[in-house]
Amino acid sequence: MRWLPAFVSALCATGTLAAKKSTEQRFNEFHTKSLASTPVKLLDANYRELTSTPRDYTAAILLTALDARFGCQLCREFQPEWDLLSKSWIKGDKAGESRLVLATLDFSDGREIFMSLGLQTAPVLFLFPPTTGPHAAASPEPIRYDFVNGPQSAEQIHAWLSRHLPDRPHPPVKRPINWIKWIFTTVMLSGTVTAAVVAWPYVLPIIQNRNVWAAISLISILLFTSGHMFNRIRGVPYVSGDGRGGISYFASGFQNQYGMETQIVAAMYGVLSFAAIALTIKVPRIADPKAQSVAVLAWGGALFLMYSFLLSIFRVKNAGYPFALPPFM
Amino acid sequence: MKTSAVFSAALSLLSLVSPSSAKSTTPAASPSTPPQVWKNANLVHIISVEKNYVKENINVLVENISKQPQDEYFLPLTADEASRIGGIEVKDRKNAQAGPFGVEVVELDPKSNTQYVRIKLPAALKAGAQQTLGISYYLLKAYKPLPASIKQDEQQFLSHSFSAYCPSAYTTSKQKTEVKLPSANIPDYTKLPGSGDVKEFPVKQGTKLTYGPFDEKPAGAFEPAQVRFEFNKPVSHVTELERDIEVSHWGGNVAFEERYTLIHRGANLSDQFNRVKWAQSVYYAPNTHALREMKFPLRVGSADPYYTDVIGNVSTSRFRSNKREALLEIKPRYPLFGGWKYPFTIGWNSDAKNFLRQTVNGGYILNVPFLEGPRQPEGIEYEQVQVRVTLPEGAENVKYSTAVPSSSITSDDIEVQKTFLDTIGRTVLVIKARNLVDELRERELIVSYDYPLSASLRKPFIVFGSAMTLFVSTWVLGNLNLKFTSK
Amino acid sequence: MSADTLQVLASAGKGESTRTILRFIILSLIAGAAIASRLFSVIRKCPLSAGSQLLSWQSRPSRRGQLSGLLRLSAFWAALLTAASFQVSRALFTNVGSPSLSQSCARAERQSRMVADNPLVDPWFNFRATKYLVANGFYKFWDWFDDRTWHPLGRVTGGTLYPGLMVTSGAIYHALRALTIPVDIRNICVLLAPAFSGLTAFAAYLLTNEMTPSPSAGLLAAIFMGIAPGYISRSVAGSYDNEAIAIFLLVFTFFLWIRALKQGSMLWGVLCALFYGYMVASWGGYAFITCLLPLHAFVLICMGRYSTRLYVAYTTWYALGTLASMQIPFVGFLPVKTSEHMPALGIFGFLQLLAFLDYVRSAIPSRQFQTFLWLFAGGTFGLGLAALVVATSAGFIAPWSGRFYSLWDTGYAKIHIPIIASVSEHQPTAWPAFFFDLNMLIWLFPAGVYLCFQNLADEHVFIVVYALFGSYFAGVMVRLMLTLTPVVCVAAAISASSLLDTYLNVKSPNAEEHPADDNTDGKKSGKTGLKSTSKPVVGIYGWLSKGTVAGAMTVYLLLFVMHCTWVTSNAYSSPSVVLASRMPDGSQHIIDDYREAYQWLRQNTKEDAKIMSWWDYGYQIGGMADRPTLVDNNTWNNTHIATVGKAMSSREEVSYPIMRQHEVDYVLVVFGGLLGYSGDDINKFLWMVRIAEGIWPDEVKEREFFTPRGEYRVDGEATETMKNSLMYKMSYYNYNSLFPPGQAQDRVRQSRLPEVGPSLSTIEEAFTSENWIIRIYKVKDLDNFGRDHASAAAFDRGLKKKKAAKKRGPRQLRVD
Repeated sequence: MRWLPAFVSALCATGTLAAKKSTEQRFNEFHTKSLASTPVKLLDANYRELTSTPRDYTAAILLTALDARFGCQLCREFQPEWDLLSKSWIKGDKAGESRLVLATLDFSDGREIFMSLGLQTAPVLFLFPPTTGPHAAASPEPIRYDFVNGPQSAEQIHAWLSRHLPDRPHPPVKRPINWIKWIFTTVMLSGTVTAAVVAWPYVLPIIQNRNVWAAISLISILLFTSGHMFNRIRGVPYVSGDGRGGISYFASGFQNQYGMETQIVAAMYGVLSFAAIALTIKVPRIADPKAQSVAVLAWGGALFLMYSFLLSIFRVKNAGYPFALPPFM
Repeated sequence: MKTSAVFSAALSLLSLVSPSSAKSTTPAASPSTPPQVWKNANLVHIISVEKNYVKENINVLVENISKQPQDEYFLPLTADEASRIGGIEVKDRKNAQAGPFGVEVVELDPKSNTQYVRIKLPAALKAGAQQTLGISYYLLKAYKPLPASIKQDEQQFLSHSFSAYCPSAYTTSKQKTEVKLPSANIPDYTKLPGSGDVKEFPVKQGTKLTYGPFDEKPAGAFEPAQVRFEFNKPVSHVTELERDIEVSHWGGNVAFEERYTLIHRGANLSDQFNRVKWAQSVYYAPNTHALREMKFPLRVGSADPYYTDVIGNVSTSRFRSNKREALLEIKPRYPLFGGWKYPFTIGWNSDAKNFLRQTVNGGYILNVPFLEGPRQPEGIEYEQVQVRVTLPEGAENVKYSTAVPSSSITSDDIEVQKTFLDTIGRTVLVIKARNLVDELRERELIVSYDYPLSASLRKPFIVFGSAMTLFVSTWVLGNLNLKFTSK
Repeated sequence: MSADTLQVLASAGKGESTRTILRFIILSLIAGAAIASRLFSVIRKCPLSAGSQLLSWQSRPSRRGQLSGLLRLSAFWAALLTAASFQVSRALFTNVGSPSLSQSCARAERQSRMVADNPLVDPWFNFRATKYLVANGFYKFWDWFDDRTWHPLGRVTGGTLYPGLMVTSGAIYHALRALTIPVDIRNICVLLAPAFSGLTAFAAYLLTNEMTPSPSAGLLAAIFMGIAPGYISRSVAGSYDNEAIAIFLLVFTFFLWIRALKQGSMLWGVLCALFYGYMVASWGGYAFITCLLPLHAFVLICMGRYSTRLYVAYTTWYALGTLASMQIPFVGFLPVKTSEHMPALGIFGFLQLLAFLDYVRSAIPSRQFQTFLWLFAGGTFGLGLAALVVATSAGFIAPWSGRFYSLWDTGYAKIHIPIIASVSEHQPTAWPAFFFDLNMLIWLFPAGVYLCFQNLADEHVFIVVYALFGSYFAGVMVRLMLTLTPVVCVAAAISASSLLDTYLNVKSPNAEEHPADDNTDGKKSGKTGLKSTSKPVVGIYGWLSKGTVAGAMTVYLLLFVMHCTWVTSNAYSSPSVVLASRMPDGSQHIIDDYREAYQWLRQNTKEDAKIMSWWDYGYQIGGMADRPTLVDNNTWNNTHIATVGKAMSSREEVSYPIMRQHEVDYVLVVFGGLLGYSGDDINKFLWMVRIAEGIWPDEVKEREFFTPRGEYRVDGEATETMKNSLMYKMSYYNYNSLFPPGQAQDRVRQSRLPEVGPSLSTIEEAFTSENWIIRIYKVKDLDNFGRDHASAAAFDRGLKKKKAAKKRGPRQLRVD
């Protein structure tokens, strides 16, 4: 029982002590924490403590919103990179010569901080420069890193950090080797090889079949010439709704397109060229005059209609294109 | 005032005694100064600065005061003026038929700054006789802008300095100097003590200043005077004009090309060019000292004009061509302010029969304008002019005569130029002139030459022959068998 | 020409010689028309006459009665084509042309407007380089150090360009001079592209004739090549660019390759190698050949079509071609160092191996041994591949160069090389662009490829490979549409000609007897042949069907011609430096601001005044204004460009020291706000920011140019960084004095500008072109009284008090 007061007092003492710890202590404390688990997960209190001046160390704090509620895709994409960076940094700098503390503050833990900083977006990476000591910066204001173009790799952040921490050790980013991936690929590779060897006699005729190759090459040509690569690169939507709730299959404007649109166009090209092929190759080989003339008319008509439709669609894309064929005038 | 009167009296005395002394000296006329054998009985000197060059008219009644007939009259110039003077012409005011006056700039004394225009009278004037000479010439680069740099929308003022007494190598008993100005806005000009009923010279009426009449002044009397006047027009100056005239008999065409190096000699901009101000001034204050456009009245029948500069075709131009006129209006790419340069090229074609005709004895005569510059209200001056007349290949004994004052022609020679599959090259007549002004445009240049039929047939034959040789040789080569093994 | 054509027609029966003569004449007409069609922007009368000639001789029924099917076809096509060229050209002409002087055919007009009106910028540099070459001779050109660009670095121009173009025109120039034809080098440069387009048509003819027995296919290919907009776009008169000759070289090299492959002749191989060397000297796109030929060879090998012909052709080409290519300083040792050349090397080695194995196999006819050998071969190939990969990863072989790499990993450029991504030509191609550039050919093309499968000889394999390769690249980069066009023309010509040959065949079969036709070789192999060609060819019975198809084809072809006319006149004849606009009364108005400003610079600034502008205008300034520039379109030094970008996108206080350090005298910006000219610097501004941010991420931040709501605005809502950036100030300086107060309007961004315009202190407006497109600013010298420019300018504006207040901080400090 007599211990208690002493204990309490001791607690208080430590508490008060904790309240005004010297910057040295604070750094050591956070450094040990980060040695245990990095990046240090912060709460309001120790966020303030960490960023309180004077400080003779640097604090890199990622303010993020990992919780699924906020649906911050970028945060979740960036988090592993951030962990990787902090891990490899701490591993490379156990003694803490770089005097850098890497920490994370989640929105769910530090709502007020976010409010006080007036942040609408996450993630944001703040770098609090030291105010005292050898590396003291002019202003205690944190330097902000913006995730303007997409999620950043650990290396990019590392480069940024090292730029702001001159004449200090910069432990490099060490990515762990992804054994699973390697094993998987090797297995897959061997599997495919064996499969190929086994299936060879059956596959060979298919491979040697000219029609297959013709089909493959024609299809790929049609894909490419109908702007498939554009979809790949620009990641255009498949279709999009027009204002009035309907679906617009054709993007307005000469310079863009939808996925569906390109497929339609490819199909039209396909029909056109197939009609041409049929007229060139198939029709002359029809021995029966009647059937032949019917085929000629059919294919020719298909060609004509499709071409006129193509022209009409092109007029949609390119306003002021003067030419057209009946019936789609 | 008084002293000057005394001085002049003394001078008059001196001039009275001069003949006696002159008699002894005339046989060995000292080269340094012309012999005092004339007296300017009456002289009217008109300096017109209305254009951006100075045109001076000296109408003088000369009297031979020596004992024997004289035929050489000298007009003094400073060396600087001698380099800028051009288009000197002398007429007899009384009868226009009086034969041609020989005019040339001579340097009697290399050491002295003074040079002379020697005027050779068509007929020597016997002692005591009188003749009225009308001497007219132009001075280029005569003005200084004052102030030297102005704002874009300010008025431009030029200053011109001259001598109130007409420069003369002889005693002048009575003279007056008139200065004609482009506008009545004349901020300052030299004032001289008057004589007689006029108490102060000059007398200013409208845009004209009149100094004089002065009483007798000795030879070389000089009274510096200066006038500063508003000249809110471009002072456009062509440092060099190359004018090519190419005659083609086969094409029945005469092609003209002129390359101008144009510079604005007026007041520079004191601060940078401001497009907003300019755009406004085009509407509100159209009269400006910047050069905005030029009008080239070409000969009727000119066709296919082009207007380019070093980086290509200039699209700001209009060409109006009809029965009566062929007017080419061009704008520089940018308005031309003081000190700005703009070199450009124009060219056009014309039917040969407008300029070329055949004489009875088979020769040809080409009659083209020596100079076809723009016609601007403010005038335009040409420092160096080079006219190249390219005659067809094989043209021979080329002769030329021009109505441009001979004192302005500095050199002429015949060159040979090889172009367009020529074998011996074309005959090119190159005439260099200097210090011309746009008043001399339309002065004709007449070139006569012979062009035998053989010369005209040379090229077709040569081309045909070489083509045939080519074909034959290829045919022969084609029939050669280059294979190692004849299988 | 028409006269002797008639002679020939009159005299000739259907002799082979006549056919060749006629074919030649028609071909030359086609080439001529192809050339003429690109010249219309300059010469007006000539093509008219050419057209009338052709049409007149075509409209001679009595003659045509005697002619063979080929002749009929070709006559029809020639006429069609000339009509085409005529229209194309007329369209071209009507579009470019200065209001008054366009009437003239005068040579000066020709030269000037042409070079001025090229659709690209590079021609200005090429033209300048050519002038240097002609003036100083070849060897000086070879080691030309250009100190008037990339100030103060300068550029080793001789070693960093493809000299083929300049040397070609230089050679032509000297040849003509030797004939005492006084042609200006400028004219040669202007007319080079059209001249070579004629040659390209010829090369296309040759290439197609290698593919198909049908004689009309070649002519068709030539016609298509002649008027396909995809190629006209780069070969109109005045587009004096590497592509001008490169496409001819490309097609001709392919022709020689096919010839060498078919005959297995070393002579053709050598020729192929030589033209390949020429191609390397001319265009960076030579890598296309370098990759395509090995690919072709590889595919042939995989098809078990290894032959000594292939061996001879390939090895000859590779050995000599590589040696030739290494003579170009700019290429140097790349062919053995970089990975885009590795396939060629690998296939070379592989072929040696195969040759060896082939020899051994012929020596030892034992089945197991063969299989072993084949395994051995495969193994070595795999090993070689692995070695290549290792060498690349180890860095012995340079990885794909950025531009090239961006073809594979298409996202690459956007992140790593923004300069490449910023060029509009490097964007992927949407389908309308394909249809726009080759309208009917786009669906004849697959048909032609299919026909190539009909009898799959080596050359047909080439066409197939080329088609796949080319269409992929064309899909990735708009610019590479150019390399696709030839194969499209060839394939389309093959299909169209076989279609027409089938349906324009005079003799109809009668039902009972089926005449055997010569091109039924497809059906002899049921397994490998195409299914569709298994039955024998009968022919077309009814005139009706013939008539329908022929008529329809005619309609399509006429439509194609009109399309080409329209495209060429609307898209490819609008120059970049001269903008043509329509006045309200329909008359044409030429907006010539670029040349106005450049001429002003050239005449009224001192000879070595350094001009700072964005790199797009570097070549133009070098060529037209003849003044040193900081950066230009040869973007070899990213940092330098980023420096300019930083100067443009930072505050005046930051930019001024940069400009002083680089001795900048004038700054040039392009501003379309008054005219609604969208290609101006404010619209390019973000690229400057990005490129600068790539080097100085802390000083320039793209985010700060966007409003909090992520918009890019120039009006009152614009961010402070935007408003204070040098570019913004220079663009809008003094602009609102054109409008009644508060009415200033930017017609590109469609936004109203703030009440008070920006004020400049360290630079002053020197010149602004008539429509404000070009604005030139003079960098002030240091202040005489040693003040900083801001306060000096403030003093001049008479704002001393306010400025002072701001400078001395809060007001209450100024009590004393």
